[in-house]
Amino acid sequence: MIPAEAHGTIALRASACTSCMICVRECPTWCIDLESHTEQVSEAGARRPRTVNVLDAFRIDFGLCMYCGICVDLCPFDALAWSPEHDHDATTAAGLVQGIEELQRAWPPAGPPTGN
Amino acid sequence: MTLHSPPSLERRYLVADQPQLRVTILDVGLACCALEVGAAITAGLLVPQVSIDTDFHDSVVSVLLISGTVTDALAPGVIRAWAALEEPRLAVSFGACANTGGPYWDAPTVTKGIDQLIPISVYIPGCPPRPEALVAGLVRLAQPCVLTLSDPRVESR
Amino acid sequence: MTSQGRLDVAPADWAQVVSGLQGGGFVLFDFITAVDRGATIEVVARVVNPETRVPAMVWTTLPADEAELASLSGIYLGASWCEREAAEMFGVRFIGLGDARPLLLRASLGEPPLRKSSALVARAIRDWPGAAGSTDDGRQGGNPSRRRQLPPGVPEDFLRDGPQVSRARGDEQ
Repeated sequence: MIPAEAHGTIALRASACTSCMICVRECPTWCIDLESHTEQVSEAGARRPRTVNVLDAFRIDFGLCMYCGICVDLCPFDALAWSPEHDHDATTAAGLVQGIEELQRAWPPAGPPTGN
Repeated sequence: MTLHSPPSLERRYLVADQPQLRVTILDVGLACCALEVGAAITAGLLVPQVSIDTDFHDSVVSVLLISGTVTDALAPGVIRAWAALEEPRLAVSFGACANTGGPYWDAPTVTKGIDQLIPISVYIPGCPPRPEALVAGLVRLAQPCVLTLSDPRVESR
Repeated sequence: MTSQGRLDVAPADWAQVVSGLQGGGFVLFDFITAVDRGATIEVVARVVNPETRVPAMVWTTLPADEAELASLSGIYLGASWCEREAAEMFGVRFIGLGDARPLLLRASLGEPPLRKSSALVARAIRDWPGAAGSTDDGRQGGNPSRRRQLPPGVPEDFLRDGPQVSRARGDEQ
């Protein structure tokens, strides 16, 4: 049937995302959107706190997405991956925008397929 | 603009694995997405009903399937096709271009989503969507939030 | 001609050189198109010798504000389509092109769309999600008051003072 490597939809692993915004800037159709803020994290033994980015929101508008995969290819932290899921139709155009929760759910259980 | 009665271009289909779903589809194949609709047929996901089948309930939903980029040149034709479909009728937007203008949203002559011109009941994302996604979208049409087969508009003979 | 089949000629010699090529066996016309180099527009014609399979690409350079060139439609009939397209997309005027109707565009869009100076208005006025300021601390360069980044391809001064449209498609619902 549908192979596991099929480019059905794009999934997000939010724990890997550092809000670097490379995917947002490189998307040709401007369909990716994210919000984040910084926090100070103190670690035992460290002289001073570390600044980390915390992802607040991550949205892909699949109405605009052209499924080129540039975001998947460019993410330095492998936070985006192809998923073979194809069933994401909606009854409104706004329903095609997916947030962190839906994008996480699509993360392939075996991890991203290797190769192209 | 005169509205003349167009030749019957709608085709009847059964949807594989969905025996309760029979649709009459007028596919407005404007660009690449039209090939995926064709692939759905050749893959046996949409089974054309050629013969006059007495079991085929005549007035199941007529679906206008917009597959491809809508441009200024073609938009009037899409509107005419919609107007010519008899009730009960629903429109399905297939692929990014039909949904929002897709990758061509910035082009001056591209309609940024066919829903700007006609009401759309189901939006299928993809560039292009798989044939399986088309079937999933058609199944969505039959769900209660869109149209029930017991809806009084749908009469079975 | 270089070994790769490239010929650079002056605009005044354009028609004569191409005509000579046709007489020398390059009877197959491939295309004519243009390249916008900013201050100049380059026009290129590709013709092929079907016997030897050798191609020739003839290039010439025109000033961008006065892009005029002799038409090749009298030499190769098929050149007229390419010249009509190059005319509407790049604003090149082909002298002697009998049928100068636009080939693809139905109405005048103002500046020829393939000129680099012709910006896509939709990209210029829509909020770019990739601009600095998407986070609360101006992380791009660390200075929130720095001028917001422009998306690729949008000229710096294009409509920057104009009204801003809604940010995302969902806002328009």
